[in-house]
Amino acid sequence: MDVRAIAIVASRDVSPDGFAGVPTAFLDLLGRSVLQRAVDRLRSFGIDDITVISEYGSVPTIQGVRWVSALGQSAWRLANKAFAEIAQSGAESVLLTHVGPYAEIDYEDLVQFHLDQGSRVTAVIEPDSELTGTFVLNPTRRNDAAYLFRHQLRTSRLPHSYYEFNGYFNPLSTAADLRRLAVDAFCGNAELEPDGIEVKPGVWAAPTARIHKRARVLAPSYIGAHARVRAAAVVTRCSVLEHHAHVDCGTVVDNATLLPNTSIGAGLDVAHSVVGSRRLFHLGRNVEVEIADPKLVGTVSNAPLRLVGHLASLASFLPAQVVRGIVKRGRDGQPISVPEAVQAPSPALKSATDESFSPNLIIARRYGNE
Amino acid sequence: METSRPVVVKHMPERVNVKQARVFLRDVEPLITSDRPQIVFDLSSVKQLDAAGVDMLLQCMSEVMKRDGDLKLAALSPHAAVILELTRTDRLFEIYETTADAVRSFSHFIPAAMRHQPFGLSSSGSSTAGSAQPTGVGPRHGGVPDVAA
Repeated sequence: MDVRAIAIVASRDVSPDGFAGVPTAFLDLLGRSVLQRAVDRLRSFGIDDITVISEYGSVPTIQGVRWVSALGQSAWRLANKAFAEIAQSGAESVLLTHVGPYAEIDYEDLVQFHLDQGSRVTAVIEPDSELTGTFVLNPTRRNDAAYLFRHQLRTSRLPHSYYEFNGYFNPLSTAADLRRLAVDAFCGNAELEPDGIEVKPGVWAAPTARIHKRARVLAPSYIGAHARVRAAAVVTRCSVLEHHAHVDCGTVVDNATLLPNTSIGAGLDVAHSVVGSRRLFHLGRNVEVEIADPKLVGTVSNAPLRLVGHLASLASFLPAQVVRGIVKRGRDGQPISVPEAVQAPSPALKSATDESFSPNLIIARRYGNE
Repeated sequence: METSRPVVVKHMPERVNVKQARVFLRDVEPLITSDRPQIVFDLSSVKQLDAAGVDMLLQCMSEVMKRDGDLKLAALSPHAAVILELTRTDRLFEIYETTADAVRSFSHFIPAAMRHQPFGLSSSGSSTAGSAQPTGVGPRHGGVPDVAA
């Protein structure tokens, strides 16, 4: 059976897509992006011919998929064009999906349902009859496809059949959804598996993660690639540190997610939050705040920039030390001979003999009640 | 600044960064160095608070405590509340929802935990120790708990 997929990474003009400037499809979920996980899931059901249409400029590399960049154009229009090409190349069914929500759909069962129903369009719905943004079409139904793309996969023309999906679904529309997905993954409610090694029961870490021996990482938690947990830091209660996240000394990360390249300062308490791109979304207060102070929340620059920064600080440190040494030597003048310095009266005694104290002054020390 | 009572209410600026914190500290210095100061900082308009701002608050608190006074925070903006929680300094201050509550708290000796506890006398006023059901911290602080009807 020749089933091909079109995955669309584009914002729907109902709400801002993503969190802290990162589109939802590119947000990391326990080490791998939403898009990567969607592609992996399609492949696990034997759908290898995947076209990804992205309207964002920065696209992470995923091997084996056909990329179509829609930078400056409408991704939905390009999707329509891609659908026409797929239809001409002889595919038997085409699966359309909007990457953003996280859905654990059994694609094999879905395609079988579509064929059994014999309908031209099958829409995947949640138990509460909400569309999930995934459809299966016959390649001959170009008008139906055009209608779907025009409406950004939010509605379809009747008649069509509905495939009720009972698996795990998370809309990933808010930061709270992102946290809920992490907790569900740790609790086994979702099939999502952390991308790393289980270093101890319930604690997953990428091989390149650096955890100080005096840091405490309590299960369940995940430490991503190149993430760093410094001494006396505590990571606990389903907390997730995505790649290149840094937690400084003594900071507690409790039921929180640190997005990639986020650094948290020393001695802080990050709880019930999603932090990234100098923004903190507090789930308890349901408020998003921008934090400009890098001592609290900062971003980790990429490796070449860090190297340049370290070299610059080293280059400025050495001349400063040399200048400081010369200035200090000049200020010290002649070295004091040790015997003279020892025999000279103490400055404290000298001041005591001054006229500032009365000669009649008696200094007594009390021992107990005497 | 409102000085209708011996309690001084001071509104903090929108941005409390290194520079603004220094200016604000200079501004409140006469207040915090007075004898037994009673000060309330209103943080309702704070939209940016960084580590220097938190440090300034702690410095004010320290100075006020040295002089046997008290510094309370009121009407925290969401940003200020998040930053104080992040830096673990929220537990060092008495924080009130409104400035009026904070000002009133100086003239009452009711602990914060007891403020919403029913520790007053019941309507009949005839409570007996045997039949009284202890509610929260009421009896420990000398209050008489409500009697079940």
